[in-house]
Amino acid sequence: MTYSSSLAMNRSRFVARSQNSVSFRTKERTLGPISNTITLIILACLLGLLYLTQVTKTNAFGYQINNLQQTQAALVSEHNNLEVDSARAQSLNNVQNSPVAKAMTPVTATAVATN
Amino acid sequence: MALPNKNDILDSIKRIRIWYAGLFIILAIFALQLFNVQVLQYNHYKNEALSDQLKQYQIPATRGIIEAHEGSSIVPLVLNQKLYTLFADPPLIKNVEKASAQVANIIGGSASNYANLMKTKNTQYVVLANKINPDQNTKILALKDAGLGTQGLDYRVYPDGSLASQVLGFVNESGQGNYGIEQALNSELSGKAGQLKAITDANGVPLAASKNNVEKAPVNGSNVVLTLNLSMQEQLEQILKNDYKSTQSQGLSAVIMDPNSGAVDAMANFPTYNPNNYQSVNNPALFENAAVTNAIEPGSTMKILTTAAALDQGVIQPDTSFYDPAHWVVDGFNITDIEQDGGAREQNIASVLNLSLNTGATWMLMQMGGGQINFKARSALYNYLTNHYMLGKPTGIEQGYEAVPTVTPPQDNGSGIDLTYANMSFGQAIQLTALQMAAADSAVLNGGTYYKPHLVDQYIKSNGQVVVNKPVAESTNVVSPKVSQELQPLMEYVVQQHLLAGFPYLNFPANYIVGGKTGTAQIAQPGGGYYANKYNGTYVGFVGGDKPQYVIVVYNIQPNVPGYAGTYGGQPVFSDIAHMLINNSFVTPKS
Repeated sequence: MTYSSSLAMNRSRFVARSQNSVSFRTKERTLGPISNTITLIILACLLGLLYLTQVTKTNAFGYQINNLQQTQAALVSEHNNLEVDSARAQSLNNVQNSPVAKAMTPVTATAVATN
Repeated sequence: MALPNKNDILDSIKRIRIWYAGLFIILAIFALQLFNVQVLQYNHYKNEALSDQLKQYQIPATRGIIEAHEGSSIVPLVLNQKLYTLFADPPLIKNVEKASAQVANIIGGSASNYANLMKTKNTQYVVLANKINPDQNTKILALKDAGLGTQGLDYRVYPDGSLASQVLGFVNESGQGNYGIEQALNSELSGKAGQLKAITDANGVPLAASKNNVEKAPVNGSNVVLTLNLSMQEQLEQILKNDYKSTQSQGLSAVIMDPNSGAVDAMANFPTYNPNNYQSVNNPALFENAAVTNAIEPGSTMKILTTAAALDQGVIQPDTSFYDPAHWVVDGFNITDIEQDGGAREQNIASVLNLSLNTGATWMLMQMGGGQINFKARSALYNYLTNHYMLGKPTGIEQGYEAVPTVTPPQDNGSGIDLTYANMSFGQAIQLTALQMAAADSAVLNGGTYYKPHLVDQYIKSNGQVVVNKPVAESTNVVSPKVSQELQPLMEYVVQQHLLAGFPYLNFPANYIVGGKTGTAQIAQPGGGYYANKYNGTYVGFVGGDKPQYVIVVYNIQPNVPGYAGTYGGQPVFSDIAHMLINNSFVTPKS
């Protein structure tokens, strides 16, 4: 008796009576070459998809960085504009011609008492 | 049903095999082509892709700002601002009349001009306006007109208008500094641009996942803090503007220098210009800082330096007197005074300066040669002019351009060298700028140290590091301290005598020391000789308390005044400046 026939015999015990069993499969079900190939191709595609998702995620950070840089540039520009406005408001010409300055007494020669 | 016979089965199998073979061949062709494209021609297609996707950008560096002193604070004088160019894409403008009216309403100007530009044919880019401000830019973009767009560019802004304009210079459309500090320190102010090499998407956004990305950050330019005192500068400019009119001058320059460090506290010229609108200036001479670029014969203000040289050599003393014949004959020419003041008689050093005696200055030169003008005398004066007073070369001040002083070497050139040197002793036949004169006089008044004149007080690098520009003493034995102390009262005497002679504006408070010297210089004609009726007026003076705190030099070009150009063109300007310094408490009184 071979090993496979003994396996067959064991299986035969589980067969109900009067089922007219002709033979018992001794081999396990396996994938054929075409199925194997297709399965491998599908797995490879899945790996590729996985890679793409990771790369896309990284590139998405690139867009975020770009947006943040643009925001930063806009804020720097706004800061510069405010600095210019502030400098103009404080410029000597502006101050000199302001209503407050015009109301002041002009400078005259200084005389200092000495002993 | 009949079972298939063996031949039919074999035929089927044969057909299946043929189909498999055909399929295999087709797949093999695909595989080979893929191998060819992806392996054999990998580099070619990679380079093609990179050339399309890999973009290279220059990241501009921010130009450093320029600041100056205002009291104890440091305030910005030159800033950067993003301004916008407004452009139109004519084919995309649907309603020209409406768009031009909206633009005119926002930025001003003529709506019909804008409408004409918007109707320009065969172009998709027409500039409507330059340098519109951020608020205007926002309003333009809010119109959401597909035919209107703006482009931001960094511009240099001078919030104080024409204040110190010729000292500062300006930045042109290419981002290069022209004239002044902007040109002299262009490299320090510009910084270094960065670089970004990256694979980008269709919109030009860099893809972070690419391993070929290269980013080099820009190094922004250093900020510069000047030695200028802005309120002093502003008031100096106002004085020059007023005195330019009152003396009917053709050009006025003045320098206020700290003699104890070489720092320039104020330096101005009139007329001037506004660097915000440099494009509208028709006369390029206005861009020059004449106090640094205009070398002229200084006239009798030179006698200060001649006197100092003679005192330092010990050939005269402050109280030395001599017989002045009222004229000297040198190389066949008469040296006389500009006004015959009492004729031949005894004179002393104080009267040489007070009466501005050319014969007196010539006599001092003779003493340097043992009693006559000879090679020894000429060499001695030349040595003082070039090695002590540093008048043989530019000062190197941080300006775009500086005139080179002209000092004739002492060797006999067969062209009346003695006469040339006699003239040099009283400020003719020698040319120097107001700044060079200020630096030399500072050295003879501060105890004998020649400080290199400078405008930069400190650099502030982009990383925050502050680099202080310390005073540089180029020579420490210009004259002895004793000579400095002897010279000051001589110059004070001149001012006092002029006050008594009828110039009441020279009345200064007693707790300040004020000294000076006028200069009336003839103007050389092209081809030789001097004009009969054209003069420049100059003045060199100091103001201080216990010691000279400021040296002031005034150059007034061809003033139209009723009298000597120095007395009526230079002296009043000096007086206005000295009073300004005292009245604004810039000068520490005597202790």
